[in-house]
Amino acid sequence: MHERLSFYVKRDSFLHNLNPLTKLTLAFGLTFVSFFSPWILTPIVIIVLIITPLSFIGKVYREYFNAAFQLILPATGFLFIMQALFQPIGKTEIFRFWFLQITSESLLFAFTNATRIFAMVSSFTLFLLTTHPSELMSDLSRRGMPSQFAYVIISTIQIIPQMQAKAQTIMAAQRSRGLDTEGSFIKRVGALLPLVGPLVFGSLVEVEERAIAIEARGFTSTRAKSFLREIPDSTFDKGFRWILILLVIAIIAVRIWLS
Amino acid sequence: MAIVNLKKVSYKYPLTDSLALNKVDLQVKEGEFVAIIGPNGAGKSTLCYTLAGFVPHFFKGELTGKVEIANKDLALSALNEWVLNVGLVFQNPFNQITGAKYTVYEEIAFGLENLGVPRDEMKKRVDQGLTMTGIRDLADRSPYSLSGGQQQRVALTSILVMQPKVLVLDEPTSQMDPIGTREVFGVIRSLAERGMTVIMAEHKVEWVARFADRVVALYEGRVMMDGKPREVLNSERLLGKGFGISRYTSTAREAVKQGLWPKNRDLPVTLDEAVAGFKGGRK
Repeated sequence: MHERLSFYVKRDSFLHNLNPLTKLTLAFGLTFVSFFSPWILTPIVIIVLIITPLSFIGKVYREYFNAAFQLILPATGFLFIMQALFQPIGKTEIFRFWFLQITSESLLFAFTNATRIFAMVSSFTLFLLTTHPSELMSDLSRRGMPSQFAYVIISTIQIIPQMQAKAQTIMAAQRSRGLDTEGSFIKRVGALLPLVGPLVFGSLVEVEERAIAIEARGFTSTRAKSFLREIPDSTFDKGFRWILILLVIAIIAVRIWLS
Repeated sequence: MAIVNLKKVSYKYPLTDSLALNKVDLQVKEGEFVAIIGPNGAGKSTLCYTLAGFVPHFFKGELTGKVEIANKDLALSALNEWVLNVGLVFQNPFNQITGAKYTVYEEIAFGLENLGVPRDEMKKRVDQGLTMTGIRDLADRSPYSLSGGQQQRVALTSILVMQPKVLVLDEPTSQMDPIGTREVFGVIRSLAERGMTVIMAEHKVEWVARFADRVVALYEGRVMMDGKPREVLNSERLLGKGFGISRYTSTAREAVKQGLWPKNRDLPVTLDEAVAGFKGGRK
């Protein structure tokens, strides 16, 4: 079964040792700056001069480049082409073939959007690669986020592969009793129905038992919780977060001032 | 002085008419290891849930009679305080994995985090627990990657580290092989010797006979028998009702008919008793 249920890559680096909230603030900060900066090349600068070097500092450049080239680049490339071709804006035509046309305005629009989204997705990729989900949740709970909320997020991430495995077991059981799951599209959709019932009702029963299990472990105890993981939050972390917040405010202010 | 005190406890699940527990009386002394046996549907799990406070606080339904543990009245207690005194491990190990943690080590610490146990103490207890139940080598694994038997050990350890006064176990070894079962029974026995009160619903009567202090036979929601393992487990009253019967008892019962087992000798429950009895019969 799946041993690895998150993107997290265990390494020892400056980035790994930062406080999770600092990294989260950084990911949001870079995203905000990419979207609000009035300068069109900002997202590119962020990707090339901040995120890429950070992936080296965090010792996750291989995983980062894999994600960037196999996932983010194709997706944003597709977005760029679609928006360049089909955005009905602008008059300065650069290219026309049959009903397809590219104007310099649509090109600019597509470029801005694609690079912004690239910057956003890659900064969050870097965040997920270097932050253990438990650490993030412990840290956020420690800062006052309701533990129920943290529980729902983490357990959902963990339970998805379990649900998939269970769906496959039910499917195999139904097939062994003669359910035909191959053939035409309609036939295959029809074959899904006998799968949904056991999966949904089975899960409802499980929810009850799981509720008992976490209750038995004192989940709703009114005592102040403690945390197994010691999560560093240095003065550097705190200062850095303030700088990021001020930077975002400054960018938004410049944007408002220019408009 | 009994730490567990049930007086005329009856219970109906919501939307049902039949009594899942029917005037159950049960007193358990501190440090005693009591096994609950009974066929499916006899009320073993319901009794476990009642001791652990989930009946009636979680399942609702209608509870009458008095449930007292460690001088606290269940009717007057909140569930989140009750669980601190009474730990529950139930059958299905998969659903006892919280899903909130990525490693066995963290999983076992989950309860201690909720209780606010300081970090150093927490690590000490988790380490002790892992050693005690023999799962130290699983500490860094994902709880979901384990076998059923291993998950049952994790579930047991997760409750043990919380150091409840009373430990309630509902078939905690159902997915374990004989070696695992023997080890876990050994661990539970040693906990009882150190003063933890243990109440365990279990089908594996040969193990019960070897390790428990007392056996309660539950049938159709009532306490049918309550006594020393030897007095209860080989009783004729258990026959034909779906109780688990030791293979040594069944063998000897047959042997009596053929004159191979001494007539006035008690029927055996464990292997040792069977061997001793058959040796005596030959002379």
